[in-house]
Amino acid sequence: MFRIRSIVCSLTAAAGLLLAGSVFAQDRFGNVSDQVNKKMVKLFGAGGFKGLAAYGTGMIVSPDGYVLTVASHILDTTDLRVHLSDGRRFDNVKVVAIEPVLDVALIKLDGVKDLPYFDISASASKPLAQTGDWILAFSNQFQIATRDEPMSVMRGTIQSFTKLQGRRGVFEASYNGDVYVIDAITNNPGAGGGALTNRKGELLGIIGKELRNTQSDTWINYAMPLQAKIEVQLENEKKSVSLVEFVEKTLKDGKWQRLDVLVIKGGQKGETGIRLVQDVVERTPPYVDVVLPNSTAAKAGVKPDDLIVYINGEQVPSVKFYNEIMGKFSPGSKLVVEVRRGDKLKTVELEVVPPTGKLVPKK
Amino acid sequence: MIRPRCHTLRTSAVLLAASLLSAAFAAAPLSAQDVDPRILEAEQKRIAVVEKVRPAVVAIFGKGGNGGGSGVLIDKEGFALTNFHVVQGSGPVMKCGLPDGVLYDAVLVGLDKVGDVALIKLLPKKEGQPFPFAVMGDSDQCKAGDWSLAMGNPFLLATDFTPTVTYGLISGVHRYQYPEGKGLLEYTDCIQIDTSINPGNSGGPLFNMNAELVGINGRGSFDKRSRINSGVGYAISINQIKNFLGHLYAGIDTDHATLGGEVRTEDEDGLAARLVLRSILDQCDARRRGLEPSDELIEFAGRPLTTTNQWKNIVGIFPKGWRLPLTYRKGNDKKETLVRLMGYMAKEIDDQGKPAKPNQPNQPMQPPTGPAAKLYEPKPGYSNFYFNKVSRDRLLANFKKHGDFASVGGEWAIEGGADLPRKKGAPVSVRIADEKAPDGKQGKTTIKLDLDGLKYDLEPLKQGQDARTLRQPNGSGGLMLALHHYRQLLTRGEKGFVEQFVHGGHEPFYPPRADGKEPKNLKDLRVDCEVLLTEEADVVTKWYFSLKDHTLLGFEVWVEQQEDPCEVFLYDYKPVDGRNLPQRMEIRFGNERFGTLHLNNYKLAKSS
Repeated sequence: MFRIRSIVCSLTAAAGLLLAGSVFAQDRFGNVSDQVNKKMVKLFGAGGFKGLAAYGTGMIVSPDGYVLTVASHILDTTDLRVHLSDGRRFDNVKVVAIEPVLDVALIKLDGVKDLPYFDISASASKPLAQTGDWILAFSNQFQIATRDEPMSVMRGTIQSFTKLQGRRGVFEASYNGDVYVIDAITNNPGAGGGALTNRKGELLGIIGKELRNTQSDTWINYAMPLQAKIEVQLENEKKSVSLVEFVEKTLKDGKWQRLDVLVIKGGQKGETGIRLVQDVVERTPPYVDVVLPNSTAAKAGVKPDDLIVYINGEQVPSVKFYNEIMGKFSPGSKLVVEVRRGDKLKTVELEVVPPTGKLVPKK
Repeated sequence: MIRPRCHTLRTSAVLLAASLLSAAFAAAPLSAQDVDPRILEAEQKRIAVVEKVRPAVVAIFGKGGNGGGSGVLIDKEGFALTNFHVVQGSGPVMKCGLPDGVLYDAVLVGLDKVGDVALIKLLPKKEGQPFPFAVMGDSDQCKAGDWSLAMGNPFLLATDFTPTVTYGLISGVHRYQYPEGKGLLEYTDCIQIDTSINPGNSGGPLFNMNAELVGINGRGSFDKRSRINSGVGYAISINQIKNFLGHLYAGIDTDHATLGGEVRTEDEDGLAARLVLRSILDQCDARRRGLEPSDELIEFAGRPLTTTNQWKNIVGIFPKGWRLPLTYRKGNDKKETLVRLMGYMAKEIDDQGKPAKPNQPNQPMQPPTGPAAKLYEPKPGYSNFYFNKVSRDRLLANFKKHGDFASVGGEWAIEGGADLPRKKGAPVSVRIADEKAPDGKQGKTTIKLDLDGLKYDLEPLKQGQDARTLRQPNGSGGLMLALHHYRQLLTRGEKGFVEQFVHGGHEPFYPPRADGKEPKNLKDLRVDCEVLLTEEADVVTKWYFSLKDHTLLGFEVWVEQQEDPCEVFLYDYKPVDGRNLPQRMEIRFGNERFGTLHLNNYKLAKSS
């Protein structure tokens, strides 16, 4: 039995190599590199402090200028700049949609047409790449390129196809679906949003943000496959969201309904309807990102961009601390929350309610 | 910079090696017939390339075995390239291991601190024994996506000096990486690789898959991760190093260059960004060539200009003092001119307009010992003046093959015709003679020039003459002085130039066309030359000898350092009493041609 299986294995391996066709070990990737580079953009936005890069990478996914990238802090600015591969520069680029569950975003360049682009739906309909397959990775890591200078190209193999296990205190990842783990050091600063392709330059996935294991001080190199799909357990139902769905729906009418706001942070027993900004640094200030309509927070007058300063007299220095403290309150608890809005402090009173699943934002 | 930290790294490398070995044993053996023959062929080719280049890879060790790096031999005499930051700590002598397992003594030859390059020389164990060496390729042919091999001694792990080889992609070309402190170690126009390089790889070679040397590995992007391979390494392009190689062989502490002006990109939002001159120094050559703020720079050294990164890349690969063609637009006029680049490392002019002191980084100055120390001679401005003398004397010996003028130090009388802008075929005669002073020591030299009936006299060594006098005749920039220096070089050599007589490395030279017509592109005129640098009575002269056969193609005489020189171009050499002399001289000053001298009658009297 064992012997038969090993023969089968070696045969398939040989067949795979033959099917690889004319692409050989010492072929040059200059042309592939040129082709892919035309569909890539350089992003420049918020950051530049606390080890956060103010630059990133994106790929064009429609001829009229939609660009897919990772949902990172660099988008959190009114002056997002984009450089095309031909050197054209765009200022004040608009972020159209973000889906933190997938950790991706779409931005839009105005006044362009006929751009070379990656067809996400078509590429995602192809089979997944296999462990051991060769890949090329394209990104503007370390902000090496500006304007018309081309992306960095790297080569590696897929080490495994697995779930990205983001756990608190270890890998702080908001995406925890399937990933390709890569043996090359592809996930450097600014590489997030870059393209993972096969040797022919066909798109396989999107390079993720830098991810460090805080316990072992090691870094993981990974990319999200185009076929990525996440199931989210809401209070009363399961919902799923895929990358293809995100791109297709947003491209259709420029609208996307975020799924992440419906998800309650693990460990919380109750709900107020406040959703904070993404936790990007060690002590991310607890700014309110979204207030769910009809929630107790909405009724009490909490607004996006409020900074939470005290909860029941206890200082709240970070998003992490907020999540910790909120885990302690059961439904029925009364909270006195002090928020800073502009220059003024404002006190609001909230009641923690059971998560009903009814807190669905307006369509 | 990639600096090894020996002990801890070595331990972890051993552990890593151990775990890799056990993994290899666990894997099932794969028989060769399972693999596509084309893949095996590719593998064999790769192995052959590694075999071919390996003997030239050098392991460099710092003083007392502390730190070190890698290098690569580039000729059979044992000259090898490495990084400045590898030799920085070791001082002028070092030990180098080759893959043959032999440890050699080596000495520092040339330095390029801004470019992070050093040239060293290994001493053969037997006199005249040739070294294996790598052949230099054309790094401008490298493209992102090409394969490359990096070789060297990462973590200094090879105690038998056998180099480590890593294989990977060129990730980008023409990259710009900012200087690392004090303006040094600036990587311009460099090659980015995902080929793994680590501490200890510094100074080692990057090869293309034709076994040609295309770069010197020296740097990586690390950011917040530890200083080991992050998949982003940088190699200094071999084409940049080729520009400096003549200087490096001549033991010069070289400097990179700047135009002397600030540039900025305009119309960034449009499709076609323009590179515009924002400001320009009054004292720089570009200013004297007519460049002004708001002029648009279009092309430099044959490469189109659009972004500031690109500008820094293109200017950054040239040594100070080189002349290169610049195309620019002033209003609606497109012009091409040669500009002489200023030094980069030290601001050449300080705020008061005086020449500034060179900004020398600290180097431990302990007298070197050992056999290599005999090949070391310190001198300000030089990394090793011993090799300057070697290069200079070799140049002079080659030049002497065109004629030995030592015995004709008497009066020189030269006659012929001159084509001047105002007149063709005007008569010209020159007499240069030395008079012995009554005490027999301090001589007096007089030059008499008769040009189209106008008579000029000059005593070039007389004290207290103003620049105007020394620049006679008017508009020539100093033709009489130039002829005096020419005679000094030919008849007296080093003795004729008390203040300076050194090799000046390699520079491009642009003799105008014989028919007087402007070339289509100035680069068509370019001839690469060896340079001799002389100084007498504060007058500096640069002499240009063709690399091909050491013909003296021309020279430039600076009456004043911050002004234009008198340029003399020499053509139509013919033997006169067995010595080759130019039958035609073209004289230029600033942007103008002063005239052409047709000299058909040389009378060179014997030394008295």
